[in-house]
Amino acid sequence: MEIELNSPFAAELVKAQTALMQVIDPELYVNIVDLGLVYGVDFTNEAKVKVTMTLSTPGCPMGDAITGGVKNALETVFPGREIEVNIVWEPRWNYHMITDEGKAQMGLE
Amino acid sequence: MAADISIGKAPHPLAVLPFYGTGAGFFAALAVLLFMTAGELTGHHFNPHVLAIVHTAALGWGTMVIFGAAYQLLPVICERDLYSVALAVVSYVLLTIGTILLVWSFWVFEVGALMITGGSLVVVAALLYTVNTCATAALHQNSSVQRAFIVSSALWLLITVIIGLLLAINLRVTFIPRNHLDMLKLHAHAGLVGWFLQLITGVSTKLVPMFLLGKSKREWLLYAALVLQNVGLVLFLADGYFNPITAKMLIYAGIVALGTAAWLVYLADAYRNRLRRKVELLMKHTAVSFACLAVGFVLLPMAYYFTDTRWVSLYGTFLFLGWITAIILGKTFKTLPFIVWSSHYRHLTGKVKVPLPKQLYSERLTVYQFYLYLAAFVLLVAGMIADYMPLIRVALVLWMMLAAVYAANVAKIIFHKPMITDGNRTQ
Repeated sequence: MEIELNSPFAAELVKAQTALMQVIDPELYVNIVDLGLVYGVDFTNEAKVKVTMTLSTPGCPMGDAITGGVKNALETVFPGREIEVNIVWEPRWNYHMITDEGKAQMGLE
Repeated sequence: MAADISIGKAPHPLAVLPFYGTGAGFFAALAVLLFMTAGELTGHHFNPHVLAIVHTAALGWGTMVIFGAAYQLLPVICERDLYSVALAVVSYVLLTIGTILLVWSFWVFEVGALMITGGSLVVVAALLYTVNTCATAALHQNSSVQRAFIVSSALWLLITVIIGLLLAINLRVTFIPRNHLDMLKLHAHAGLVGWFLQLITGVSTKLVPMFLLGKSKREWLLYAALVLQNVGLVLFLADGYFNPITAKMLIYAGIVALGTAAWLVYLADAYRNRLRRKVELLMKHTAVSFACLAVGFVLLPMAYYFTDTRWVSLYGTFLFLGWITAIILGKTFKTLPFIVWSSHYRHLTGKVKVPLPKQLYSERLTVYQFYLYLAAFVLLVAGMIADYMPLIRVALVLWMMLAAVYAANVAKIIFHKPMITDGNRTQ
């Protein structure tokens, strides 16, 4: 999840990113931002926060918990706005999407 | 591409937890039965107590836990929610009652209504499992080799238990025009190669790379494994039904062994290409399990050629107490905590800090479990080879301790009380 500082929604994006870092993938024990699961957050609709994200594997039994966690986290920081979570499978998540911080947390090489 | 695929909901705990809890109970019962029959373990396998023990291991322990794990993992493998929780629950009730009746009737060797009723209940449980598995797999338009293994193994389970039921009836009213002991070999290997091997092959090739963060591009090995394992088994069953069991059957075992090797080479490739360098203790159980399976293949010709009944007992020991038990001991704590965690904390993630699934069980107990298992298994095998009863008895005491440690840790997960509810810490 990359944030461009000249984006008109930079402040919201930082707020969203901080909130989403509280959502942990219970299988991998790393937050979903550092895992690279969050592809983007859209604030163009004032009544809505639209998250585009993926899961590490389709049919993951933890998928429901993770998407619920995303809604919980964003409802807390953006009260009154509808939270929409759009799961996509393209691009397919792979290990190269994990940030350096995420890799360090997982003890990867 | 929008989400036209299920994002995956953990199945209802009722479809999973009773299987693990009851499986742990049967494992404890198995350890006690082994201790009670220590003197008969190296004797002939067609013995009431040994038959009771084998069915406790195969149905009460192996199949019971695998049913629970499969109902939890089918959504991962088939990328769909489980077809029916109700069918899963009914299959649990039938499998439990059926296994108890069957084990008891073998133990007291009461051939007749009790044994046939137990066998019939197990057949219906297997049928419901097969329907649930096939229906879950069929909901997905893309095929995968893992799904093929899961469906194939379910069908073999059904065939195995139907043969078993026919054999139980045959003990009461002889109608099979073939040697009962030869038929027993067909029944046992349909279960070992068709049900356990293919199920474990399918599930492990999905889970092991996932846990190790590894991958292999040599998927053709899995298709080769699927074909070889099935061809070897079908040839064995067809030839074995119409002809006496001879050394020729070892050729079919060789074909299955090649299919097993293809699967293990695939896993080794994923292991080499893994990101997680440190291998967890629980994954070491899996490595021990595969080593036991390899030894099982080596023991097969010895069990055939040597007249000493110890070799057949060792063959069974390496497969049931080595291969199947080791993989269950390891994988339980890689799967079971997630279903409990999901039911307690799913709605709280992102709102408050919740415990992790691995905090639902005692890691210290898993360390005891691993070393107790190694000691119990090695001593039992050594005792059986040396035919030295004191050593076998010491090993079986360790098996009972191991079962107690495993059951305690499983109970800790199943009866976990939520530590947080809606933002308030309760413990």
